Amino acid sequence: MRRWRAPFALFVVMAALVALPHVVPRFHAYVAAIVLLTALLATSLNLAIGYTGIYQFGHAVFYGVGAYGTALTLTRTGMPAPVAFLVGPLAAAVLSLAMGMICIRLSKLYFGMLQISLGSLVWAVVYRWYSFTGGDDGIHGVPVPDAISSPKASYYFTLAVTALCVFAMHRIVRSPFGKVIQGIRDNPVRAAAIGVDVKRHQLAVLVIAGFFGGVAGSLFVVVENSVFPDMMFWTFSLEVLIMCLLGGMYSFFGPFVGASAIVLLRVFASVHTQYWGLILGTILTLVIIFLPDGVLGVVTRRPRAKGEPDA
Amino acid sequence: MRRFVPFLAVAVTLFCMAGQSVAGDTIKVGFVDTYTGPATTFTNDVLDGFKMAAEKINAKGGVLGKKITWVTRDDKFKPDIGLTMAKELILKENVDLLVGTINSATALAVSDLAKKEKIPFFVTFSKSDKITGEKGHRYVFGMNENTEMAGRATAKALSKKKYVKYWIAGDDYEYGHAIANGVFNHLKTLNPKVQLLGQSWWKVGESDFTPYITQILAAKPDFVIVATGGGGMVNFQKAAQSTGFNRKVPFYQHTAIELSTLMPQGKNAPEGVYGTANYLFYYPNTKENKAFVEEFRKAYNRYPKSGALYGYMTAQFIAESFRKAGKIDREKFIDAMEGMKLASPVGGMEMRSCDHQVTLPMFFGVTKKSAQHDFLIAGEVVSVPGKEYMPSCAETTKGRAK
Amino acid sequence: MESVSNLFSTGTLSQILVGLSRTTILFIVSSGMSLILGVLRIPNVAHGSLYMIGAFAAWSVIQLLGGGLFAFLAAMIVAPLIVAAVGFVLERGFFSYLYEREHLMLLLLTFSFALILGDLVKIVWGPEYRSVTVPAFFQGSAEIFGLPLPWYNLFLLVVGPCIAAFLWLVINKTDLGKMARAAAVDGEMVGAVGINVGWIFAFTFVLGSFLAGLGGALIAPMVNISLGMDHSLIMETFLIVIIGGLGNMWGALLGSLIFGLTQSLGILVWPQFGIAFPYLAVVAVLVVRPRGLLSSTW
Repeated sequence: MRRWRAPFALFVVMAALVALPHVVPRFHAYVAAIVLLTALLATSLNLAIGYTGIYQFGHAVFYGVGAYGTALTLTRTGMPAPVAFLVGPLAAAVLSLAMGMICIRLSKLYFGMLQISLGSLVWAVVYRWYSFTGGDDGIHGVPVPDAISSPKASYYFTLAVTALCVFAMHRIVRSPFGKVIQGIRDNPVRAAAIGVDVKRHQLAVLVIAGFFGGVAGSLFVVVENSVFPDMMFWTFSLEVLIMCLLGGMYSFFGPFVGASAIVLLRVFASVHTQYWGLILGTILTLVIIFLPDGVLGVVTRRPRAKGEPDA
Repeated sequence: MRRFVPFLAVAVTLFCMAGQSVAGDTIKVGFVDTYTGPATTFTNDVLDGFKMAAEKINAKGGVLGKKITWVTRDDKFKPDIGLTMAKELILKENVDLLVGTINSATALAVSDLAKKEKIPFFVTFSKSDKITGEKGHRYVFGMNENTEMAGRATAKALSKKKYVKYWIAGDDYEYGHAIANGVFNHLKTLNPKVQLLGQSWWKVGESDFTPYITQILAAKPDFVIVATGGGGMVNFQKAAQSTGFNRKVPFYQHTAIELSTLMPQGKNAPEGVYGTANYLFYYPNTKENKAFVEEFRKAYNRYPKSGALYGYMTAQFIAESFRKAGKIDREKFIDAMEGMKLASPVGGMEMRSCDHQVTLPMFFGVTKKSAQHDFLIAGEVVSVPGKEYMPSCAETTKGRAK
Repeated sequence: MESVSNLFSTGTLSQILVGLSRTTILFIVSSGMSLILGVLRIPNVAHGSLYMIGAFAAWSVIQLLGGGLFAFLAAMIVAPLIVAAVGFVLERGFFSYLYEREHLMLLLLTFSFALILGDLVKIVWGPEYRSVTVPAFFQGSAEIFGLPLPWYNLFLLVVGPCIAAFLWLVINKTDLGKMARAAAVDGEMVGAVGINVGWIFAFTFVLGSFLAGLGGALIAPMVNISLGMDHSLIMETFLIVIIGGLGNMWGALLGSLIFGLTQSLGILVWPQFGIAFPYLAVVAVLVVRPRGLLSSTW
């Protein structure tokens, strides 16, 4: 009977999500769409940080590139929408590979900081190139195809794409490839010793994470019809990282929980109080003290050798 | 997975419970603006000016028998939050009208949303000329000056002066470049003899201008156009004061003579700085302006700044347009507002039908010490009426998608 | 692109001096961060908030004492002490129980403190800008090669090396400093030798916080004291510490020099993109020396 629990729960959840726009007010359907795409973004980050142990501190740049790629294709070229939805994530994946090849020699914290620096340079280009990217004004009124532009339609599109991508990532994580990268996370030296090409696997993860991050960016364009340079700024990278940590980076759905919590909190709490930071900070502190591996953590906490340096 | 499902159940339940607001028998105005951080010094004035007018109108029976009510949402100076909050106001709070915001990127995004949702949006404080220009449309209204307007007014004033060699400097973002280009390009058409020696751009929020100031002084320009945004105004003036920059080279900043820039510095603000502003509480010294200042001080215990004018007039335009329309109908409301002329503390203001931009005078002056106040004020003030400096309808609507 | 010949004008020397005074603030704040990161291994995202509290506290002290040189000097000492006290509370009250946690979770913890402290500042001081004027003693500027250098910048040029010397003394010559350095490398051994590592860590964090507060207090007269201050410096500080070498004072100094000077000189070479130069420098350093320029304690 236990084998049925997970798929049954999943079915219930999916049914609820599909029914959602018919039961809740328009605004809530919109917020739900934002939650879904942010959760997708967080899950893509977690491939790098939770499953492979790569300190991906600049993830937002892939989100932004995915969004800008799609928005620019839709506004500046006559190409059909499906092309635009591919351009964004592909551009993000390519960028991820390029940045990865520069940063991969570094470990942990250094990798993260270099990635942030490179990401900041990308941000600076987008921010200043007003004639092409709209600079700090961003791009608005992106012509999204009518079929998916209404709040309900954009929600369903987001739901479908997110479900598909999350499913794909889940398969990846459960596959032999997924086991290898977790092995790399736990002990890169041993992984190399048994013949695993560590760098190649890490680059592969970065490309995949970048790709799905870019997909999340494209979904943002569908839901909001706008892009802003802030989407790729390091503060947002940090926010997505916090979502993973909050929800639990060692569980697959942890980032989902973290993203939902933070997006919902941000939308609904800031309506009622101006001290949103205080509330979020307090909640985070409590989570850290009482739930050491995030909300969904604990189940798969990896064993750490005593005295192992945390570099 | 085990913990995920209960969590999801709780989340979805709470989510569904969050109710929907019903629009009552009032005119509900939704403010989406930045109410955290440094921008509040400007945005609070907009809200307070609006409140002052709205309360007065409500006391006299409201508009067509309905009272004006308002709700505010904080966008934290971030466009994505601003867009979400605007959607919340429209979809959940069911506001009749939108007002906001000081962040131009947010204003443009919300403007686009307003067009889709067919809800009138009054832009207060954002200075991008695209709002009522290239990206303008039926549902957006500009209640203050934009970079194009400020640039032209300043160019007019500067073209009469004898400076030839110019240097441009400022905050490295869209607003900075727009102001600098607005001033210099028009100056060049009015006075072809002017030359641009060079440019310096620093990051937004820069605190140490000394390296840039030394570079500019080394180039020996006659005049410097300094394009700093709200936060950078005081920082730059402080640096000018401590390096003596203002005594070595004359320079100009948009809003240099405004109270929000000069008051925090007290008696230590630099003198001799050229600036433009839309509102000065001491000029013109007319009955209308004095009454406005008096009323504002009584209500809020401080002098009104430009934002107060924008907020106050927004309320007036809203009220009058509904009255003229005769009923609470958005389309009739917009038709009624086009071309409307109202009296204001700074004289007559007109809402242009062609681009929905309000005409207002621009004041050009120089900072100087004041005996009566603990802060500097503007001297040698020249008032440039709207019609003399604003771009024509043809120019602003060029490039608009139809 | 401005010609590189600009680099050889007289303006250059004054730009270098300006860059150096900028270095002072960066060094003071990042040395604090470097200590905390190097010894305690905590990526302290709240460091920017501590810096901001230092600036606001300095404003309050100056307001209280009515302005003038004495108030200013008092603020330079009292404000950092206030921040140090805040740091003490954070460390003893929270961090000391959580050192065993996953590294990244500590980052989450400091991030949440940054959020809380940011709002606390809003509650205590309100959302408006504050302004502190440079005391009369330091107003105006000196003429260096015909170009002005504010006296306050010169003051910073003097303060910087003093703080550096003071830190060097503390870390290398005092017992506490030596114990802290040892604890950075091997905390367990230090504990095994009978030293109370907990107090070492507390001392280090308090010192780091003091430095952050001092940086904030020193920069107060030059900027708008506002709620966004915590974000403005934090990224630069992290980058400086990374390229300099974790836990390494000289590294923090070197990193700050690189940052301060590349920006000042970058403006001469390419005014439009001067702001990108420090980031390019960081990329260059990390590609060539992936572990930072000088040795780190990890």
